[in-house]
Amino acid sequence: MSRQAGRGVAEALTTWHRSGSTWVALGVAAAAVGVVALSADAYLHATAARMLPLALLAVSVAVVTGHAGLPTLGQVAPYAAGAYTTARLALAGVEQAAVHLLTAAVAGAVLAGLLGVVLIRYRGTVFLMLSLGVAELTAITAAQWRQVSGGTDGLAGIPAVRLAPGLPPLVADRAVLLYAAAVALCATVGAVILLGGERRMLLSAVRGNEARARASGHRVTAYLWAVHTGAGAIAGIGGALLIHTHRWITPADVGFATAALALLAVVIGGAASLPGAAAGAIAVLAVRDVIAVWLPGHAPLLLGALFVAAVYLLPGGLTALSARLRPPTPSRRPNHVAHASGSPARPTARSTP
Amino acid sequence: MRVDAYLIPVVDGVAYGLLLAIAAAGLTVAFGAGGVLNLAHGTLIAAGGYIAAATSSGTWPSLAAAVALAAIAGAAGGGVLAAATAGLRGRGHLDQALLTFGVALIGGDLLTTVYGPDTLRPRLPATLEGTVEAAGHRYPVDRLAVLVIAVLVVAAGYVVLHRTRAGRLIRATVDDRAMVAGIGVNPRLVDAAVLMCAGALAGLAGALSTPILGVGPGTADTALLLSLIIVVCGGLGSVPGALAAALAVGVVQTLGVTSFPQLAPYLLVGAMTVVLLVRRRSLPGQAAA
Amino acid sequence: MAHPIPRVRRGLAATAAAGLLLAGAACSSGAADTTTVRVGLLVSLSGTYATVGEDMQRGFKLYLDTHGGKLGGRKVDLIVGDEGDGPATAVPAAQKLLERDRVVALTGLVGGATVDKVQTLTTEKKIPLVGANARPAFTPVGGKPRDLAYTWHTSYNSDEPGIAIAEYVKAQVGDGEVYAIGPDYQGGYDELRGFTDTFTRLGGKLANPDGKTTFTPFPSTENFLPYLNKAAETKPKAVYTFYAGAAAVAFVKQYAQSDLRDVPLYAAGFLTEGSVLTAQGPAATGIRNVLNYSPTLPNPTNQEFVAAWSAAGHTGQPTTFAMASYDAAAVLDRALAAVDGEVTGEKLNTAIGQVGRIVSPRGDWQFHPIERRPVQRWYLREVKADGPVLSNVLVQDLTTLPTT
Repeated sequence: MSRQAGRGVAEALTTWHRSGSTWVALGVAAAAVGVVALSADAYLHATAARMLPLALLAVSVAVVTGHAGLPTLGQVAPYAAGAYTTARLALAGVEQAAVHLLTAAVAGAVLAGLLGVVLIRYRGTVFLMLSLGVAELTAITAAQWRQVSGGTDGLAGIPAVRLAPGLPPLVADRAVLLYAAAVALCATVGAVILLGGERRMLLSAVRGNEARARASGHRVTAYLWAVHTGAGAIAGIGGALLIHTHRWITPADVGFATAALALLAVVIGGAASLPGAAAGAIAVLAVRDVIAVWLPGHAPLLLGALFVAAVYLLPGGLTALSARLRPPTPSRRPNHVAHASGSPARPTARSTP
Repeated sequence: MRVDAYLIPVVDGVAYGLLLAIAAAGLTVAFGAGGVLNLAHGTLIAAGGYIAAATSSGTWPSLAAAVALAAIAGAAGGGVLAAATAGLRGRGHLDQALLTFGVALIGGDLLTTVYGPDTLRPRLPATLEGTVEAAGHRYPVDRLAVLVIAVLVVAAGYVVLHRTRAGRLIRATVDDRAMVAGIGVNPRLVDAAVLMCAGALAGLAGALSTPILGVGPGTADTALLLSLIIVVCGGLGSVPGALAAALAVGVVQTLGVTSFPQLAPYLLVGAMTVVLLVRRRSLPGQAAA
Repeated sequence: MAHPIPRVRRGLAATAAAGLLLAGAACSSGAADTTTVRVGLLVSLSGTYATVGEDMQRGFKLYLDTHGGKLGGRKVDLIVGDEGDGPATAVPAAQKLLERDRVVALTGLVGGATVDKVQTLTTEKKIPLVGANARPAFTPVGGKPRDLAYTWHTSYNSDEPGIAIAEYVKAQVGDGEVYAIGPDYQGGYDELRGFTDTFTRLGGKLANPDGKTTFTPFPSTENFLPYLNKAAETKPKAVYTFYAGAAAVAFVKQYAQSDLRDVPLYAAGFLTEGSVLTAQGPAATGIRNVLNYSPTLPNPTNQEFVAAWSAAGHTGQPTTFAMASYDAAAVLDRALAAVDGEVTGEKLNTAIGQVGRIVSPRGDWQFHPIERRPVQRWYLREVKADGPVLSNVLVQDLTTLPTT
């Protein structure tokens, strides 16, 4: 019992520190967006804005992978639901941002909720491969359902979003960036709050020892389903942002390649950290879309180098970097706590065979 | 439809399936014994294909050299991966996935830089370029040859895995690493050897598939996806499971897609999903709940 | 990994990302003078269609190199971007060319989906897009037709090859049926629809069981033998198809090994165009196909073009992709020559509308005033040995499209 009490205290301390630093990270992110928005370079604005949908998708993947402990490629399904719903609304003449975001979030949550009913019963590699199946089926469905998706060529020239009826559409690159950053930040903050406190501890317990959590009377399946569904809402909002920032979509944008980039961004960011996941996604896209432009044809080489470098230079991801720079403060922290909250942050795709 | 209408697709499905089995065997053994989720496996297959296509010049000796070189290059690639992943033990499969995916991207870029963006095919000896007549249908000789070689490789693999000390060590490592270490064998050596063998099989699979499928920038992705599906459906680390799954994928991709043309795009992924949903309890790779 | 982390350092990640962006911004450039123009060439240098992209790059550079590096008397600063596999990589690259490099014209573009998305960007910026390959259908958005004022192509519509050859195939098969098969994506639908619509309107019948074209999953289909043997059961008099790239190689190789191998194969010319023909080898011999170009066309412009192509050290013969990109340079050459003073997108676009007749390796052509793509001849070609190499040898003229 005393051990559990000790764990609880230490967890609370960790949570406080962690969420505190998460707020700082979010603040820095907001400041970074401000700096970018202040520059006079429209290309920079457009480039930064275009990265935010994937960043939000990565946040959604980080929620499922890092907090529910289920490495996933399947969040592109709610992402696609949000995106195509938004695109169809805009094409039908409904252009208000609030309507888009709400509908997209609901569409994403509903789809993730339905998928979750089946997926949530699986763990590890089987979950990962089922989610791969979901990603593939999403792209195939998007390509085949031509009335909605416009087929393999997708949709282009989607009308720009409006903040409110009567206001002009958001077309200027800086305005789009500020809007998309505000939405992405709000969604991330919401996720951080919802995953804080007692819920963080519950999920940590589920990841650490699921059998024990069940035995203690926790409804593990219900928790995981709720997290998966909530992550679907975030992905749905990310999908809406995809339409708002790009104003086009093709099935390839909601397929395996996007899913893989998002999951790898999460690994680079440090699985359980939501701002880390977003930063990972931005790093990936910065390499692919900004740096690789100077070496045409060799984007895969640079992206591969980024992944390899991340593995060797940033074990534990971007967010563990600062932890490793800092001298350890072991006095308050019993070792098993580090293990309990640390290991799920690096979920293994395989348990003991 | 007449019965013989099914004959050619089934033979073709089995030939394709055996080819996939060789490709996937390396991946499943590397995962089971070496504990490495190798996303660069498809790139090794593509490398084998490119090397074979560049080496074979239409003569029998050059064809033999092409196959041997592809296998050797695959083994070397496996060795590189073994060295690269050795330092990651204990860091989880997502880190391995990140590393091997990165290696795959780099390798793919280098391959297209060296061999160009075209789809390449090896020149084969004239005998292999023809067709034979069977039950009123034509069938390509090169596919029959691949079928025969694939059967031989699968049989040899079975013998090595079940009748030799090396094979027993590999299977023992899949079951219980600690026990293997306990009998005085360094499991890391087994890991490295397994990754090299897996690489050799990948190179061989690449060499065998180029005459039929060609090799190009898309080869690595397709090969990796099919191998992953086979490995997971067959049960991680299980070679007989992979063989069965590979044959099933082969038949789905030949008989299935023409029998249900409307469902063709969904067929493979759908089949995988159904298999995983149904087989949830019998998979060795699944976490205890 | 779960050490409590100092707040400031936790922000490192976000700062690093912002830093990357700003570093990109620092490399900005953009001085404008009237003697040099910047042209953006956006083609696939990686991914599935890198071969086509490379051909287009060679075609454009060949024109520049044979014209002293100048277009319309102005020195050209050619900036190349990688289109990759589609819009996801192409749009960022296009945005960089348009907003960072401030090009006065954008050319190249391999894929139809890419053109569909990039077109909206160039139109917004009032920069002429002179596409040299796929021209998609530009489906209306929200009931409104797309603004195509700045969108030109030196190539063709995807359904034109099929339209051009349908009458010839009908004459060859008489009352026989034709089996139609193609890849399951937009380009495939367009190519096959052009043929099947025209063919059935001429009274032809498809051999496919439900009277509809068979579409194979793309790009995942590598093994065509099951489809081909299935097609053979319908006993067609001929087969019509469109594939490109790796699928074209696999299709042609396996066609020659299937039960269909004695059935005449007709195709949109991409099936045997360029490097795929080398990989197909003798299996491609005898395939009759339709395209707007053949390297064996006897006109003097083509002979010069083919000679320059070989002189530049490129292996094989020039393709329609290289030729269309070469022509895009020719269009820009003439249009830029007509622009006085500083070149803007608007002035250049107006000039493109007035270039008139273009002397081209494919035979002279001009822009259709509404469609903004060439009114041009289509040719029937047959794969034959031309000296030591296989070539798409000219058989006869087919028709001129678009007709109005």
